Amino acid sequence: MRFRFCGDLDCPDWVLAEISTLAKISSVKMKLLCAQVLKDLLGEGIDYQKITKLTSDAKFEIGDVKASIAVLSFILSNAAKHNVDGESLSSELQQLGLPKEHATGLCKSYEDKQTALQEKLKDCSLRLNKLDSVSWRVDYTLSSSELKEVNEPLIHIKFNIRNVDTGKLEPTVMSVSADKFRVLLTELRQAQAMMNSLN
Amino acid sequence: MLLVLSDEHKEHLGFLTRVDSSVVGEFGRIAVEFLKKGSNPKIYEGAARKLNVSAETVQHGVEGLMYLLTESSKLMISEVDFQDSVLTLGFPEELNALLLQLYLGNRKEIRNILKELSPSLPRYHNLEWRLDVQLANRALRQQIKPVMILKLHLDQNGDKNSKILQTDPATLIHIIHQLEKALEEMKTSHCRRIVRNIK
Repeated sequence: MRFRFCGDLDCPDWVLAEISTLAKISSVKMKLLCAQVLKDLLGEGIDYQKITKLTSDAKFEIGDVKASIAVLSFILSNAAKHNVDGESLSSELQQLGLPKEHATGLCKSYEDKQTALQEKLKDCSLRLNKLDSVSWRVDYTLSSSELKEVNEPLIHIKFNIRNVDTGKLEPTVMSVSADKFRVLLTELRQAQAMMNSLN
Repeated sequence: MLLVLSDEHKEHLGFLTRVDSSVVGEFGRIAVEFLKKGSNPKIYEGAARKLNVSAETVQHGVEGLMYLLTESSKLMISEVDFQDSVLTLGFPEELNALLLQLYLGNRKEIRNILKELSPSLPRYHNLEWRLDVQLANRALRQQIKPVMILKLHLDQNGDKNSKILQTDPATLIHIIHQLEKALEEMKTSHCRRIVRNIK
């Protein structure tokens, strides 16, 4: 069976198994659990105390608590990943055996935060090292050991690159002569025009 | 198979015959503690003062015991072989029985500790990917070139590093095909026979 929220593939077996675990708590509690998981996915941190309180009534063991958090994370992040709307998500979850009130509750929370979730996922996407800032200085060389009168402008450029893994700033310094710099500038302007035309 | 103990080792262990069996038991316990958590030279001083011998003798005795235990556990020698190897030391009967108990009781744990000493290769941790389309570069405009960028996160003994790779879709399909063939290899009768025999 193909499901849109699984990217048009089969639903993993463990998700099917844990959906029945989710059905054990009331739909109100499940909606609160959803809210906590959404907060975690958006990077705002998760309050495990609240979660243990919510699940204690249904006598969830530690394994069940972990499983329900995992299955909710999976459903919500995959639905955002494949851009599934709330209605389809609800009907697919009901097909998998989640009771109607639970499914509607889950999808309501999902729809509220769908855009925010997709934004966050876009930020987490793979990026190579980013350019953080550029600083430059124009010098004028008067003379050198090779030639008495040089009289040429020279540009020093420093690119500060932020390493995505370590978060540290790595500087790259170079000096460019006037002609080379004009070429660099023209090419970059052409690239910028192309980027603007696509935007 | 029998353990062959060097003369120096026998000399170090010879110290154990000159003390009570309770002290030997204590030394055995200290030896196991040191194997688990690392040695603590202060204990040698305290024991040396109590027994009226040099700290070095105590140290040799304990280290001799540690070596005896690690070698026996490493080779996983049987009770009979252990007893025969220890007989060559010329210890009294109760001491031999004590050493045998020490060996059998701690063998499993010592083997677990020794397991962690083997060299390890980098292990798979995570794979991030991104699908890009190259529209233009400095040399050629109006292109459409799909490119996959992969970031392979590896973990070696706790050190994380990552490798950035790039591939075109045709190579990616080839990689997937090869990896699927590798997985299918587990289902052949040859592999199944080996797995059954290991279990």
